[in-house]
Amino acid sequence: MPTIRVPLSWLKEYVDAHGSVDDIARQLHMSGTEVDRIERPGGGWEHVWVGRIATLEKHPNADKLLLATVEYGDGREKTVVTGAPNLAAGDIVPYAEVGATLRDGHGDGFLTLRPRKVRGVLSEGMVCSEKELGLGEDHEGILILDRSLAVGQPLADALGDPVLVIELQPNRADCMGIVGIARELAALQRVALREPKVAKLRDELDRSRLDVRIEDPDGCRRFGAAYLEDVKIGPSPAWLQERLIAAGMRPIHNAVDITNYVMLELGQPLHAYDADRLRGRALVARRARSSESLKTLDGVERILSPEVLVIADEDRSLGIAGILGGADSEIRPTTAKIALECASFEPRGIDRTAQRLGLSQQSAASARFRLNLSPELVPLALARAVALLIEHAGARLAGATDVYPAPWHRPNVKLRFSDIQRILGIEIPREESLDALARLAFQYAESGDTLVATPPAFRTDIAIAEDIVEEVARIVGYDRIPVRMPDGPLPLHERHPLEELREQVRDRLVGFGLQETVSYSLIDPAWLERLTPDGSPIAPGPIRVQNPTSGGQSVARPTLRASLLDTAARNLKHRDGISIFEIAPVYLARSGDLPEERWTIGVLVAGRALEQTWLTQPRAWDRWDVKGILAGLASAIGAGSFSGPTGPAPGMHAGRSSIRLHEEYPALMIGQLDPRVAERWELPADTFIGEVDLVSLLSVVARRTAAVPPRYPAALRDAAFIVDEPVEYAAVRDEVVGAAKELLESITLLDVYRGAQVGAEKKSFALRLVLRSPTATLTDAEVDRVMSRIEGRVLHKLGGTLRG
Amino acid sequence: MASERDLAELTDRAVREIADAGDEPALEAVRVRYLGRKDGELTTRMKAVAALPAAERPAAGAALNRAKAAVEAALAERERALRARSLDEQLAAERVDLSLPGRPVRLGRLHPISRTIRDITRIFLSMGFESVEGPEIEWDYYNFEALNIPPGHPARDKFNTLWVAQESATALSLARTGTDGAIARPDGGRRDLGPMLFRTHTSPMQIRTMEQRRPPVRVVVPGRCYRFEATDATHESIFFQYEGLAIDEKLSMADLKGVLYSFARQLFGGERKVRFRPDYFPFTEPSAEIAFDCFACEGSGRKDGARCPTCAGAGWIEAAGCGMVHPDALRRVGYDPAKYQGFAFGGGVERLAMLLTGTPDIRLFHQNDLRYLESV
Repeated sequence: MPTIRVPLSWLKEYVDAHGSVDDIARQLHMSGTEVDRIERPGGGWEHVWVGRIATLEKHPNADKLLLATVEYGDGREKTVVTGAPNLAAGDIVPYAEVGATLRDGHGDGFLTLRPRKVRGVLSEGMVCSEKELGLGEDHEGILILDRSLAVGQPLADALGDPVLVIELQPNRADCMGIVGIARELAALQRVALREPKVAKLRDELDRSRLDVRIEDPDGCRRFGAAYLEDVKIGPSPAWLQERLIAAGMRPIHNAVDITNYVMLELGQPLHAYDADRLRGRALVARRARSSESLKTLDGVERILSPEVLVIADEDRSLGIAGILGGADSEIRPTTAKIALECASFEPRGIDRTAQRLGLSQQSAASARFRLNLSPELVPLALARAVALLIEHAGARLAGATDVYPAPWHRPNVKLRFSDIQRILGIEIPREESLDALARLAFQYAESGDTLVATPPAFRTDIAIAEDIVEEVARIVGYDRIPVRMPDGPLPLHERHPLEELREQVRDRLVGFGLQETVSYSLIDPAWLERLTPDGSPIAPGPIRVQNPTSGGQSVARPTLRASLLDTAARNLKHRDGISIFEIAPVYLARSGDLPEERWTIGVLVAGRALEQTWLTQPRAWDRWDVKGILAGLASAIGAGSFSGPTGPAPGMHAGRSSIRLHEEYPALMIGQLDPRVAERWELPADTFIGEVDLVSLLSVVARRTAAVPPRYPAALRDAAFIVDEPVEYAAVRDEVVGAAKELLESITLLDVYRGAQVGAEKKSFALRLVLRSPTATLTDAEVDRVMSRIEGRVLHKLGGTLRG
Repeated sequence: MASERDLAELTDRAVREIADAGDEPALEAVRVRYLGRKDGELTTRMKAVAALPAAERPAAGAALNRAKAAVEAALAERERALRARSLDEQLAAERVDLSLPGRPVRLGRLHPISRTIRDITRIFLSMGFESVEGPEIEWDYYNFEALNIPPGHPARDKFNTLWVAQESATALSLARTGTDGAIARPDGGRRDLGPMLFRTHTSPMQIRTMEQRRPPVRVVVPGRCYRFEATDATHESIFFQYEGLAIDEKLSMADLKGVLYSFARQLFGGERKVRFRPDYFPFTEPSAEIAFDCFACEGSGRKDGARCPTCAGAGWIEAAGCGMVHPDALRRVGYDPAKYQGFAFGGGVERLAMLLTGTPDIRLFHQNDLRYLESV
């Protein structure tokens, strides 16, 4: 947002504002002009005085140093050593005594002055530059003050003028000048506004002196210009320089200072050309020619293109319109004739060009032109600048012109008085609404319920009825709007099931004792290469950020794994165990559409699971923890199993991990991190990860049905099956489940045994089965039949035998 | 034969001995002495009743039964008392040192951002809003253009944008939008959506929601946003916002104020003062900013003799930007601004989370240092 600095004394030149600076700031702020802060120069100026250089001599031991004796009232006098090139005896300067704390002229910090010897001469205190006082960036020379200032007064009294630092809303181009802020204040306080008096210039300019043309009327809406002779370039008066400094600009010389002064005052930028440098004595607003080059004021040689609006003479571009002037036509100390440009440019074009040239922040002119400045400012600002040049640069006006092919018409906005109540929810009396508009210099006509309001010439932000309502509301005060709860019918929509599920999952995982994390969704692409031993990807190529803030946040993560590993690694530097989860989208490119944002659950456990206490044995996290957490989660939310096949999980321990697909998407990954990957992340080998795709999970969540407590007793049987080593538990379980059908209530794996009793390359699964019929008490004979069916199937399908 | 008086004395003696019995074996001895099957004193007498003349038997029998009942009652009473006492003694003897630490429980916690988003949505849900979410990677159209921020608009300055790199956004600049076509849009559903970007605010969901629904609409939208911004203690380039939108026939700024006042009070307590001042957003008109007085310094801007660190000395904490939805935005989604109107608001989640948890630096949220997360 554009920021402007408004010195209070300058503001008060245009309006007799009452109240303290804090009151003024509050009133502006509460009516929509955002006062970011009030700067009170002088806050850090203890022990700094207005001093006078009494004598100036060469340093006896150094060619480039001077001894300045400064008097600062009541007969006080001190000698300082200085290297400043711009001092003369008799100059009025800021003098800082020993003990003063100033900004470091050569760095960013602060320095407290102490007496010190410089090349053998004692230096007590300092004469100060702008930078040392915090008034600006200039550290080339000492700040020379107005000769009329009384020597010996504190500098804060002489220069200490509070400055309102205002963050302007981009629609309020009219407030880019201090007069605009004064207008707001006058309306708020119902006091008179004193705009700077200017005599209207007559449109009289001899074309042989200066030919002003608009060749691109879309880009340049109005082109005012004046031709001045007998100009004497020199420093501006001290009051003008001080105002520029207070408002944040550097004084240069009278011609440029005056254009800047008028810009700060009225908001309208101007540009002064050395008229003798104009070839063909012309100023033309036109598009640049292809490959036309221009050396701008910042010393850069720029190649232009036809999208760029320039101000040119008959031969060549002189400057980039509204943004930056050219070096060749700039005002020099010897300049005697000035062509003064005061134009109105189309804001979007200015913005585009400033962006392309990388000048949108630096140029005070483009910062204003890219807001929609009123073309009505052109004649005002031109006349004001001409008057100041006549007064302070000895100039003589030879002529002025105003090219304005398609004048802007202010809108007549029609609304009903009842719209005010409709929008604000409170009736503002008609007289009060009209009074508010009158205070803001709107014109209006009323007829019955209808109001037609016309904004003042400097306001370009008013177009629709709602704009008028806002103007009324901000003047009567938003406090007047009552507080009411909406009534009327409530929309009936259900929460999205995916969001509902996601929140359930969060609660469950927290309930299992895991800590939730939220990490950056933009990550370092190098992280993705560290997820597998050979750097091959575990996820599709990530979406890149065109203009990342840093390499560390330059791609949108296609997996949560890297973030989990990073979080774990950083935390395991100061603890020996971690159990975390994150639920966030991963971003997967799609052709021809926005990327898919696929919500994913990531769980990581590593290191110590349980501390040793007098009650507990220490224990490390293991793969069965992740398995148990995810199984518990599935059970808690009523999820069934995924339908697809399993496969290897890249980046994970080959023997201790797998991915399960669901509708061809990796829905579930569980396992231990590949030890080589763990090493690359400086993680322990016992790092275990679970990843679940939330969309897949949602698709297998079934609505729960309530179970009625069973009426008939259960039969409990233990059985151990011996199978070959490669046979997985799941196969045995599935056969048991298939054989027992609906009579099986639960199956619990009690033990897995390998050893002499079952033979080599074999293992035994000890199972506890709970069998129950919903319709009758099972007899021993029925249970035996079920058990033998199970035994038969395990033998037949898996070659497993019942352990005797 | 013993007299009535005899029997009364016997009963009294038995009751006294019962009361004197100090433990269960002593009590059992007393019971045997009086009621023992073989030669308990009362038993013996009852056996003797049979030997009495028939006329005396009923009276003597009744007297003996009364005496027996009294003794049995006293025995039962005493037995209860003795049992209770011995249990007390046993429990006292089983004393453990309760200052010993218990078996550890692992505490899981939600991240403070998740918790704050829940707090926010819960409050708006209670006011009839529903929670919806939208894409983090967006079209320029939804993030800017449909919100009255065309290219070159100076309001884009507020939204330093992270753009999706060209080769990632292989797409089309022309695509179908909207979903069900429930609302006829003036552009017939095809439009230039511009380049892809990382959404700079949750406001695109205002447009998406309106495209998909007819009024009445009341939604709250939490979600992740992105800005090209240097990070410091109060700024992050990746952060969360909450957005609200309510459209109906008569919703006014007074309703907006009511909803946000209620929100601020439910979140931070009933004594909070709320401030409503004009602001500017291209997609609302009139626009406002809502702030509440700083609870750390009670709105004074000073705490412990220095500038209040919570509100940076302002005395107010800005909670949300808001306003009446701009008629152009309504028109763009096919709502008739002559019939429908409503409000929108949006604010930062982290700022609220910082205030609610006393978190001093916004970067702590994404650093995931468990020493911090376990403390909030």
